[in-house]
Amino acid sequence: MTERTIAVDYLARVEGEGALKVRIQDNRVEDVQLKIFEPPRFFEAFLRGRSYLEAPDITARICGICPVAYQMSSTHAMERALRMKVEGPVRDLRRLLYCGEWIESHPLHIYLLHAPDFLGYEDAIQMAKDYPDAVKTGLALKKIGNALMTLLGGREIHPINVRVGGFYRAPTVHELQEFRPQLETALQLAADTVRFAAGLDFPDIEEDYEFVSLRHPKEYPFNEGELVSNKGLKVPQERWDDVFEEVHMPYANALQSVRKGTGTSYHVGPLARYANNRDHLTGRADDLARSVGLENVVRNPYKSIIVRAVETVYAVEEALRIIDRYHRPESSWVEPPPVTETVTGGAVTEAPRGILYHRYTVAPGGLIADAKIVAPTSQNQKRIEDDLRHLVERSLSLDEAELTDACERAIRNYDPCISCATHFLKLDLERN
Amino acid sequence: MHEEALLRDVLRKAEEVARSERGHRVTRIRLWVGARSHLQGPELAARWADAVTGTALSGAPIEVELSADRDDPNAESVMLRSLDVEE
Repeated sequence: MTERTIAVDYLARVEGEGALKVRIQDNRVEDVQLKIFEPPRFFEAFLRGRSYLEAPDITARICGICPVAYQMSSTHAMERALRMKVEGPVRDLRRLLYCGEWIESHPLHIYLLHAPDFLGYEDAIQMAKDYPDAVKTGLALKKIGNALMTLLGGREIHPINVRVGGFYRAPTVHELQEFRPQLETALQLAADTVRFAAGLDFPDIEEDYEFVSLRHPKEYPFNEGELVSNKGLKVPQERWDDVFEEVHMPYANALQSVRKGTGTSYHVGPLARYANNRDHLTGRADDLARSVGLENVVRNPYKSIIVRAVETVYAVEEALRIIDRYHRPESSWVEPPPVTETVTGGAVTEAPRGILYHRYTVAPGGLIADAKIVAPTSQNQKRIEDDLRHLVERSLSLDEAELTDACERAIRNYDPCISCATHFLKLDLERN
Repeated sequence: MHEEALLRDVLRKAEEVARSERGHRVTRIRLWVGARSHLQGPELAARWADAVTGTALSGAPIEVELSADRDDPNAESVMLRSLDVEE
């Protein structure tokens, strides 16, 4: 017996991070299961035994698009555990850093991932042939957001300047003022983006969502506020574990977060923030939302692309406001007290994709004893399944390829962490 | 973080090639891993063993070549190099 070698030289691609199993019985959708294959990454486990001061840098590695969210939720959770209060310009700098993340993340999704769905292109590369200016606008905005993150964080991906209590170094007034012209450009581009997004064609669909987000009494939320929903939820962040719980579905690696008690889904992200905080949008963001006829509560998930654009305008305006009132603090951080007893603290901040919860227990001496992280995509996962069930019910006449495409679009409305791949969904359709 | 998705794609391609070689058993699979791919050989080999269980490629060992050339145009990628089949 001999062996023969077959040369292949095939470059592997990241496709199929998710699968959707749909069971249809007598033209009725019996079951919908969204499976996320990405393996567990055990961040909560390997944070145990590390210094509480390391949490912002370790958890930032969870995401290359929204590392600031992980840094902000971890620092605020630690500060709550240690009863620290960070105010004044350092608090403002944190909001400014978050502005940078929203400015780089939202246009990435709007132009490079979401818009091709509406305009009928495989991806942004194909779309760029016919819509070069749109893709250039997206890239220019992302670049400005990245530059703002670099200015405050030391680098745009996984910034290194964030610490419990504040920042290792605060920028000078001059450094921030020098950045102003870029933000003025961004404001114009973001306004164009609202008009671009509002001009797309939207399916006529509305869902009855429970929108969950933060709400602050005075400002559109980034780092602070109560947990609220349009269906009556209103609790302090510390009560997270009383109102939400994570459940493991046997068919998926990712945990699903549901409302405790009812087990029902909820919706986090731009639509939820906007619905619960519309009154805090002022200036250009408010004007643009009105001028394109955006309702105060948007229940059409496809229109999340417009809301992302409005939030981008808000983030640019807020960045300008913060820069204009900034004075450099004497100290760029508040010194944490020694950890002399076991303490626990949790915090929620608004990642571009929705609320992100961190909770830590820190032992005397400062080593982390327990960590819990609930990411926006795991909170939206059950809600995505609900959307898909309704979509499939409406679309039983579509063939498999058309249905796969429609389901990918519906999932992409949520800007989930799996949507970077062009074709991320394998449809397993069982018709009886 | 994308090891599993990449390996599934490699497996899909390898099964496709194996099917085209009707009746010939696959005895070895060679994988090339770029220097900038952020993937590690032992990790991939372990995941591969899980991934092929129950497939036509079950039992076929995998050989992982870790490239050190950071300037290779495919340095960020993983490549299914070749398959050995019994004649």
